[in-house]
Formats: sequence, C-alpha cells, structure tokens
Amino acid sequence: MKSKGKKIQGALCHVYLILLTIVAMFPLVWIVLCSVKGKGELTGNPTGFFPKTFTLEYFRHVIFDLGFINNIKNSVLIALVTTVIAIIVASLAAYGIVRFFPKFGSMMSKVLVTTYIFPPILLAIPYSIIMAKMGLTNTRIGLVIVYLSFSIPYAVWMLVGFFKSVPIGIEEAARIDGANKLKVFSSVVLPLVAPGIVATAIYTFINAWNEFLYSLILINDTSKMTVAVALRSLNGAEILDWGDMMAASVIVVIPSIIFFCLIQNKIAGGLTEGSVK
Amino acid sequence: MKKKIAMLLASAMLIGSMLPLCGTSAVMAEENAEELEGDITFWHSFTQGPRLETIQKAADEFMEENPKVNITIETFSWNDFYTKWTTGLASGNVPDMSTALVGQVAEMISADALLPINDLIDDIGRDKFNESALNECAVDGNNYAVPLYSHAMVMWIRKDLLEENGLEVPKTWDELYEAAKALTKDGIYGLSFPCGTTDFQATNFLNFYVKSGGGSLLTDDLKANLTSDLALDGINYWLKVYNDCSPKDSVNYDVLDQATLYYQGKTAFDFNSGFQISGVQANSPDLLEYVDCYPIPTINEGDEQNGITTSNQPMVIWKNSKHPEICREFIKTLYDEDTYVEFLHATPVGMLPAIRGISETDAYRDNEIIQQFEHAESVIADQIPGGTAIGFEHGPSIQAGIMTNQHVIEKMFQDIITNGTDVETAAKAAEDELNALFEVAQ
Amino acid sequence: MNKKNRTRWLFVLPAILLVMALFIYPICSSIFYSFTNKNLIRPVYKFVGFDNYISVLTDKNFWNAFFNSVKWTVFSLVGQLLVGFTAAMALNKVNHGKGIYKTLLIIPWAFPSIVIAFSWQWILNGVYGFLPNILVKLGICDVAPSFLTEKGLVFAVLVFINIWFGAPMIMVNVLAALQTVPQDQYEAAEIDGARSWQSFLYITVPHIKVVTGLLVVLRTVWIFNNFDLIYLITGGGPAGSTQTVPVYAYDMGWGTKLLGKSSAVTVLLFIFLIVICLAYFAIISHWEKEDK
Repeated sequence: MKSKGKKIQGALCHVYLILLTIVAMFPLVWIVLCSVKGKGELTGNPTGFFPKTFTLEYFRHVIFDLGFINNIKNSVLIALVTTVIAIIVASLAAYGIVRFFPKFGSMMSKVLVTTYIFPPILLAIPYSIIMAKMGLTNTRIGLVIVYLSFSIPYAVWMLVGFFKSVPIGIEEAARIDGANKLKVFSSVVLPLVAPGIVATAIYTFINAWNEFLYSLILINDTSKMTVAVALRSLNGAEILDWGDMMAASVIVVIPSIIFFCLIQNKIAGGLTEGSVK
Repeated sequence: MKKKIAMLLASAMLIGSMLPLCGTSAVMAEENAEELEGDITFWHSFTQGPRLETIQKAADEFMEENPKVNITIETFSWNDFYTKWTTGLASGNVPDMSTALVGQVAEMISADALLPINDLIDDIGRDKFNESALNECAVDGNNYAVPLYSHAMVMWIRKDLLEENGLEVPKTWDELYEAAKALTKDGIYGLSFPCGTTDFQATNFLNFYVKSGGGSLLTDDLKANLTSDLALDGINYWLKVYNDCSPKDSVNYDVLDQATLYYQGKTAFDFNSGFQISGVQANSPDLLEYVDCYPIPTINEGDEQNGITTSNQPMVIWKNSKHPEICREFIKTLYDEDTYVEFLHATPVGMLPAIRGISETDAYRDNEIIQQFEHAESVIADQIPGGTAIGFEHGPSIQAGIMTNQHVIEKMFQDIITNGTDVETAAKAAEDELNALFEVAQ
Repeated sequence: MNKKNRTRWLFVLPAILLVMALFIYPICSSIFYSFTNKNLIRPVYKFVGFDNYISVLTDKNFWNAFFNSVKWTVFSLVGQLLVGFTAAMALNKVNHGKGIYKTLLIIPWAFPSIVIAFSWQWILNGVYGFLPNILVKLGICDVAPSFLTEKGLVFAVLVFINIWFGAPMIMVNVLAALQTVPQDQYEAAEIDGARSWQSFLYITVPHIKVVTGLLVVLRTVWIFNNFDLIYLITGGGPAGSTQTVPVYAYDMGWGTKLLGKSSAVTVLLFIFLIVICLAYFAIISHWEKEDK
C-alpha cells in the first residue's frame, strides 16, 4: 500500500517536472528553430513549428557582416577580468573578516551587502561622469571597474559563508609551523575553500556577462560593445530583422547554456554551502 | 601587483571624485590651412548596410588624403543616440561631429553644445540649400547644422490590395479610414497606429491630421495645443483607426515596429518616408512592385496640402571638439558629387538630395530603384519644400523638440486606450504636462 | 600583537578601499543633486531644498511606479519561491532522470536579460507571435491576445517571465540545502508515524530556512532594482501600467533630464531598500540564534 502511494507520488513528480521542463525549454527551442527558418517563414507562418526551408543565412549575416564574434570576445574578456579581480579582492577580504575581525566581521559584510542593494540606476550617471574625468569612457577597463561595484560586495558576501566553514584546526597547526598569514591563506585555506571560490567566480562571471545598463551607457564604440548591447542595437537598426535577432540570441545563449551545464554541480549550493554552517 | 593597481585606481577615483564639476570650455584649435592633424570622433545613426559603408568609405578616403587625421566612427540607433549625447553632455564626453534629429538640435543649441557652422555652409554654397532647411537649425543668424539629405512623410499604399478590393487611393482622412477598415481582414491590417512611448510616432501621426487641417500642435506663442477642436478630432480619428484597423500591439510600437509591418506586407497603408522602399525590398521583394506613395490625406476633398513633415537630416559639430576644422573639411567632402550620389544611392528614394543640382544629374538618375519609383520620388520631392519638422511651423523652438522627445502625446494615447480615460480630459492633462515641461526648460 | 594588527588589515583593505572609491562619489553626488534643480545637460543649477522630494512624493506617477514595484517584487518573489521550492522537492523525490531534469530546468537562468526580452517578445508578439496565433488556430481565442500590451495581461506576463527566469536559481539552492538534511531524521519520523507534511514542517523547514531567508534577501533586492527586464520588454508601458521605480527614475533622468528629481527618486528607493534589508537581517539573525 505504502509503496503504491510512493509510486503515485513519484509519477506525479515526473509529470510536474516534465511540465516545468517544457516551459523552461520552450523559448530556447523556439529561438533555435526560428534562427534557421527560411526568409518569410518567420512572419508568414507564425504557428509553423519546424522550418520548411533550412538556412544559415542569418548566422552568416550576424557573424560576418555584423561582427558579432567580436562582441562575444569583449563580453568574455570583460567578465573574465572582472571575475579575477573581484575574486582576489573578495577572498582576501572574506578571509580577513572571518579570521581577524570576528566582532566587526558581520557588520562589515552587512555594509558590503548594503552597497549591493544600491540601485544601479542611481550609479549610472555618477559613473559616467567619473569615467569621463578619468578618461575611461568607452574603454573596457572602465567597464570592468564599474562592474567591480556589484561584483565585489556579492563575492565577499558569498565567500564569507564559505570561509566560515573552514575548520580552524588545520590553520592553527600551520601557524605554529611559523608560516605567515598570507602563506597560510594561500597554501592551507584556499585549497579548502576552492569549491566555494569556483562557485563564487561563476556567479560573478554570469552577473558581469549579463550586465546591460552600464554597458549601454559607458560604451560607444561598436567594436568594444558587449553582446547584450550589441544585441539590443539590432533591435534599433534601420530594418528590424527577427531572423537576425534570433540567430544572434542563439549565438549568445548557447555558450552560456553549455557553460551552465558543465558547471551545474558547482553552482548547486553555491550560496548555501557556507552560510548554513 | 594587482592589489597595487587596484589601490592606485581606487585612490585615483577618490581624487577624481573630489574634483569640482568643472564646466567644459571649448578649446578652439587654430585654423590650419596647410595640414590637418588630429583625431575626431563621428557619431552617426546610419547603423546598417550601404549607408554605413559609404560613410566609412568617405572617412577612409579622407584619412588617406590627410594621413595625420584619424576619424573614429561610432554608430547608435536613434533612440540610444539620445541617451548617449545627453549623458555625454553631463560627463563631458560628446563626439566632435554627429548626425542628429532636428527636434534635438534645438535642445543641443539651448544647452550651448554646438558650434555655429556658417562658414561651412558658405563653403559648400549657401544658395545650394533650401533656405527653410537651413533655418530649421539656425538661431540669431547662426547656422548650427547642415542638412545632409531630405525626405518627407507621405502615405504609402499597396496597389495590389486596393485593386483587388476595388478601392481608390484615398484623398481624405475619411476615405483612408474606410479603405483601411475594408482592408483589415485575412491577417492584413489596414493601417497601424503606433503610440509606443520610446518613440514620437503618435505625435507624428497626430501632427499629420492637425496640420492637414491648417492647424498646429503648438500655439503661436509656443504653448501646447491639444485641446483645439482640430486636435481633438485628430485624436479621435487615430483612436478610431487604432480600434478598427490596427493590431492591438501597436500601442507599444516604435517607428521600426510600425514600418516592419509594412515591410512584411502586413499593413495596407502606412505613413513614412521613401525608406519604405528599401525596407520592402529587403523583407518582401515580391511585394516591391505593388508599393507606391501619395500625398498625406486632407480633411475635405480638395483642401490644399503642400507638405506636412519634412526632415532635413542635420549634421552638427560639437563645441567640445578640439578639431572643428577637420570636421568641417570632412563634411565638405561628403558633398562632393561622386561621394554624395553614392551615399544617396545607398537608400534610393529614401534620401533625396539636400542640395540643388544633384537630382537632375545622370549619375543620380542612373539607379534602378530611382527609375522604377519615379512617381514616388516626385510625390516626396513635391512635399519636401512645404513641410517642416514636427512643431517647426512657428520656426525652430525647444518646445517643438520637447513635444517630440518627451513622448507626452504617446502617453496620452496609451492612457486613453488602456485606461479608457476620456479624450478631452486626457488631452487637457497632456497639454498641461507639456506646458509644464516647456516652463522647466526655459 | 602590533604586527598582527597591521597585517590583518592587508586582507580587508583592498576591498574596503575599492568599494568606498566606487560608492562614495555616486552616493554623495546623488544626495547632493537631489537637493538641486540640476538638469542633465546644463551646467548651472541651484539649491532647491526639499522641493524635489516633495514633487516626487506628490507625483501620482511615482506612487504608481512604487506600487507597481512592490507588486512586481512580491508576486515575482512568491512565484519564484513557489516554483523553485516545489521543483526542488520534486527533484529530491525522483530517482530517475534527476540529472537531466536539473540540467534542462536551469536553462532559463543562462539567459541574459536582452535574450529573455527578445525571445519572449517574439513568442508573444501580437502579430507574428507563436502563442497568440496558436491560441487563435486552436480556437481557444477569437482574436490574438495582446500579451504585452493589454492592461490586465501585461503585468502578469512580466511576472511570469520573471518567475521563469528566477525560479531555477531558487531551485538549485534549495535542492542543495535539502540534501544537507540528514536522511535518518526522516526515517525516524516515519517510524514515529509522522505524516509527510509534519516531517516537512518540523524537519525540512528548520534546516533550510536560513538559506531561504538569504535567498529571499538577495532576490528581493535584485527584483526590486531590476531595470533591464521591464525596460527591454515593455519600456514601462502601456500607460505606465508596468512602470516600476527604476524605470521611472530612468525616464526622469534621461527622458525629462531632471537629474535632481531623478536623484531624489533613487535616494528614496535606496532608503526603502535599506529598511527592508534591515528587517530581513533582524529575522535571519534571530533564526540563526535559534539554531544554536
């Protein structure tokens, strides 16, 4: 009896998950299908599911005529540099907060989180003024600096949780051996929290990759634009071509999906691993 | 090392942030007749295709002739351009030269952001330009913009659809409504009415109606005028079109969404410039032969209508520029006959020459589309001299710019359509809001 | 002792300095401008005291945007939590295909906001969209519904899209937390004859409530501040029915160029968020103490 109830429960779970999967997947499936449909099919036959004629023309146009690969390179570069800097600064800070400032630590991390709640819309104009003063408007470095404003607080917040979970014993032992703090940090603590750092890095990378507002406001040069803004500029082009927009969306989204699938076990619990302990 | 850099950056930012917000004073470089030297940035909104290429080519040629000059071209959509230059003015990061929309030039002039370019216009030949086109961007005898090309708003039709349904080309607004209503079937919409708040299309459409009846959306002393009988008739007319002939989504449409419907053969009528031709050509080449245009309708048959909305695409030089002399020389080269004709051919019939003596040349006429669409071209060319930019019938004014760029009229239409607000109440509210904005801008 | 004190600062200083450098100027200048009549494109301005705050707080459009923001945050958050939670529980229950489900279900999370906007705008487009047209074809609707422009519909659609995008993140984190719950406690409960809702309430909830609390804080802030999604999909329209505070502030700053007033809006927004966060923190630290 009991096992039968369990079976029904299991079946219901599957039905629910399948439904959710369909909803979750539909936009992806649809943009992929639309990106290879022949000219005229997109608007002529809105309910046709599979392409009648198959074409890679939109991809050719987006990649070769509009230079989209270059925008992807920019996004990767900017997100990567942001991530590296943010992780270095944030892991030092998180460790410092947990180890050396136990009392003020929680207050400090709360202050950092407060900065995270700053509406980006409030920061956009001041940043464009600062960047212009420093001669960094329209540069990728400028954008990285601005991205640090949301990356560092978020990364510190996450990492504090992970560092809390490091057992003190090992570290104390290392200290007795006479190794200095930085060495303890890099050779003993870091390896222990490596999974947490990877998870934090991924969050940081994704946030930087997806960022839109600052990049819209700070970058002028088409060759320096990130994908998000380059994609949007398709929408403001002189001819609205949904085929191009679909193809470009596929180009942007497929790498992130592959990336997500590869690292899914690492992001699982990225936030929670440390903070529950 | 990384940390050091980070600290340096941090302290640099702190110092930078403590500096007072100093006003940017224009540094005028000495005119150098011998050799041009320096870097300039050129923002334009010709974001795609042949127009982008011909401009780039002109810049490349210019750099070849002047090896010490470097021209950086950056392109934005018209919508982003507004965000860009306003933020740019706040942070002191504007280009050396750019394209602009006429309505925005008034705002740029009032923010003291542009350089007078009378001498440039004299060099190209003042008498070659249409005087009214030059005056659109002139204040106190100073010209702040030079028109690159011209076009006018006209009514676009689909000959095949009219023929199949035994309809004539409408001459009055009522005829247009009846025809559009009759054609709204089988997945075709007669006429879409766009009032998205990211664009000024509803202002544009309302302006057609009001101006065709001899009125204006601005009073003579430059106050908003949305509550005149004519304006209220216009608002009601477009609401009728929205309800009976237009896709419901058009409440959020901008110019591109609107035009795309026509490009795809989904609308029978539309209002736009000659750009419709290249749009249809790119999206639905089969429909190209059925495309043609006629003057904007009038309220009563036989009313006089000599042109309503004309755009003379302005090119401006920014006051912040360190090398206005390079901008001037470069702009001049754009009007060299070969370059100019090639540029106009990038969107044939879409861009008509802004200087005299081009449209008759063999080089200009040697283009398939221009030959095929001779009728359309003549209709547009006839409408150009009598029309103005929206709200410019009283001369250039910042009020006209605000009316087009603040999207108050679009919000009014959305309010009526989505919230069912009474037309007169909504029109009065929009009028008050516009007048308040005019007040602030003084 | 002295040396220890100095080196420990080495760890936290870079972050503190960077964050200070990145925030002091924007915060100060926003507060400063909120008391002036600064126009975005004009250099001259003068002090106007609290005029901006008064004019914002008496502007019915601001309150419309504020209530939209609250509605947007609450509905999206509840929806994301509900879907994320149930999905995580279901995943925790099933034995087969867990990996595949999880991989496919996190896909929306990988969508940058601009791609979310494009794909849903395209699917829901009133003229060429798949969904409106298929509904007409199947005879469910007489005319194609305008998902993105009809007043009663558009807000719900935006919330749906936000749930679609945000639920996977909740799911992944809750699932991870669920896996930390010791299985023997469930077994013990079952032996004691506890019903499943009881073991959920007394075993599962206490284990995951701190994590959930943190997720709620981060999500609340993210959703409340979110600008891209709404701006890119509807631009706040039609007739302001989807205008939230960040979109309102953007329109104020760049549309009407009233930088002073838009600064006042963002300062108010910030104060509101601080209050919300403080309340959350109080609850969470209360929970944490309870746990100990």
